[in-house]
Amino acid sequence: MKIKNIYKYLFAAILILHLSACNNNTDAEQLFNQTPTERLNAQKSELSEALLASQFGWKAVYFTDNTVLGGYTHLFKFAQDGTVEMASDFDADTDVYKSEYEIQLGSTVSLTFTTKNRIHLLSESDNYPIPALRAKGYLGDFQFLYYGQENGEIIFKANRNGTEIRFVKATADDWANLSKNLVMEQNVIGSDERPLFRLLETTDGTTTHKFDFAFSEVTRFAESNSIESGYSISYNMGVGYTPTGIVVSPAVEVGGQKLTNFVYNDADGSFTATGTGGVKATIKYSNKPLILTDDYKNFLDAKPQMVLGYIAANLYTAPTTSTLAKSLIDEVNATLPANQKISRVQIYFNSPYGNYVEYRFSGGKPSLYHNFTTSADDTNKTILFTHDSWDNGAAYIPAPAFLKKLDDEFFNPSGLYIKKEAFKITYSNTIYTITSSTSNFRITTYQL
Amino acid sequence: MKLFKYNKFAFMAMVSAALISCASDDQPGESQLDYTQPTKTALDKWIATTYLNPFNINVQYKWNQNTVDNSRYLFPPTIDKVKPALEIVEEIWLKSYSTIGGADFVKKIAPREIVLVGGVNLNSVGTRTLGLAEGGQRVTLFETDYIDQSDRANVSEFIHTIQHEYIHILNQNKPFDEKAWAAVTPVGYTADWYNYDIPESNEIGFITSYARSNINEDFAETASMILIFTKAEYEAFLDGIESPFAYQALKTKEALVVKYFKEAFNMDFYALRDEAEKNTTGVINN
Repeated sequence: MKIKNIYKYLFAAILILHLSACNNNTDAEQLFNQTPTERLNAQKSELSEALLASQFGWKAVYFTDNTVLGGYTHLFKFAQDGTVEMASDFDADTDVYKSEYEIQLGSTVSLTFTTKNRIHLLSESDNYPIPALRAKGYLGDFQFLYYGQENGEIIFKANRNGTEIRFVKATADDWANLSKNLVMEQNVIGSDERPLFRLLETTDGTTTHKFDFAFSEVTRFAESNSIESGYSISYNMGVGYTPTGIVVSPAVEVGGQKLTNFVYNDADGSFTATGTGGVKATIKYSNKPLILTDDYKNFLDAKPQMVLGYIAANLYTAPTTSTLAKSLIDEVNATLPANQKISRVQIYFNSPYGNYVEYRFSGGKPSLYHNFTTSADDTNKTILFTHDSWDNGAAYIPAPAFLKKLDDEFFNPSGLYIKKEAFKITYSNTIYTITSSTSNFRITTYQL
Repeated sequence: MKLFKYNKFAFMAMVSAALISCASDDQPGESQLDYTQPTKTALDKWIATTYLNPFNINVQYKWNQNTVDNSRYLFPPTIDKVKPALEIVEEIWLKSYSTIGGADFVKKIAPREIVLVGGVNLNSVGTRTLGLAEGGQRVTLFETDYIDQSDRANVSEFIHTIQHEYIHILNQNKPFDEKAWAAVTPVGYTADWYNYDIPESNEIGFITSYARSNINEDFAETASMILIFTKAEYEAFLDGIESPFAYQALKTKEALVVKYFKEAFNMDFYALRDEAEKNTTGVINN
């Protein structure tokens, strides 16, 4: 090809490009009518206006991670000048403090609490409730990504882990009553005055299920597992406090309904969440162990010798030794000279000398023995001790008055629950707990 | 050349077409970005007059997720704690170096940004990170909420952090003689330095246990510890070293630090130490 022709074609090609270049056809589908900047600006002002709109500010129960931790209630009152007043039920200090906030642009529009206030207590690396959360504090965040509004609530997701946080409009009462959340905390922890056992009972109107219930104060987290064989449902939930009860996350799901708000009843210490159509969940106390065992049968007549020993040095502090048991032991010790204390309470079953409770003392005081006979209540699965005599190892003696209250617990006419426990304390000996069927008396013993 | 003329004409036509064809009547309007300056508080103004204007150092105390490690559980400082912390930094670091190195010294070699974090930066092994220096540009100081000016040990630790991080900034601008340094105590560097007591580390020639993590930290620790010791304290410290090898190693490292300051910045390290001592006493006694 001649060079002239190359120029010709090249010219033609460039001419065509020129003539078709300025085509203003934008057939590409327009997803939005506004530019991204316009939309972000609109979101920013929408969030900013919403934050300022509520007269008494906003309330959020922040569940930082509802698989390990509970909810922490925060109240916010935002001001035009970039400051925010805040209160929280994280600890006993429910006062209102002021700090700064900003609407920042992160991966989307977000609300960030830019200087320290109460919400930052959840994000303090060296203040963590359990060793597993070392260097992670309470897993909290204070940069909340804005995800719109729904039914007057503002929806956020934590920047750190995507946890949803809902801001609901606060009321004057919310501010006035925040400290009552911590009063309620004591009711969730439970009182020594209440019965020893606690359970979660759910009903969908016809079927009732029972679950054990254990609450950890430091994490505000409750674990609840079914006690029925062949029914392996668990309700593990974070707990947030309110002035009238608790709010839980995740919800307790019964009969397809999600129950989150439990109301406290001071008469029996129970918390109840009520759904519709008879659906209900109740956290309540019980005098009776959730699972009754046949362990008591091993201590009845004609069985081999068994010795259960409460050893003060190791078992006074056992979590299964109840407050009532401790106070009765303390009362006995208080009647003794300063160098003498109960060192052991040892119960012998089917020994060569029969059945007896040995009260053993430190400081040179000789032991005292309470002899008894046993019988069983097979309906309630309890063992009963019946008084026979007292002796000091050499001769019969009258019942010692200083031991009466403690001793009476063992000789409860309604009987005792005896349970072989799975855990061990200090030594490899099997642990048995002896629990009163009517009072809060429970003592921990080694099988010797 | 007929063709050539024709081409010239066509070329001109195309150039003009290219230049004017895509003209549009739409003129750019006002920016949609919000460029209004946030309201400056008294604190912001103080920072501007104390740090930003004289030294071109920006101080960030408000939370900004881009300047901190988001995988750590940290929080911004309480507003009231910002100024006291910055005053200590100004007094101990800016003033000492300005006096000895010349008024322009810190203006030239300084982090361009100081980030304050209120909370403790706890590591999973149980150690605390007190400060960070990044790329010679930014220094992050942690635990500013816990500064207690009435507590000498507490203030010393904070001052130590500042001195330590600034040594890193200096090193990031002009490297020290790493070969000579590495030859002083070739053994003893270890990743699990936190498992050793400080006196134990002293006796093998390290000024602190943290100095054992690597030679960069060793240099920063050696220089910053000498700066926060008073002259008498440092001499007493050296006198307490039993191992002759460790004593000699510490003296050699000290000499290398002095040489570095002289050669890299023409600065008398001992004069700097005396100035820092004076200013430290001033801060703690206030």
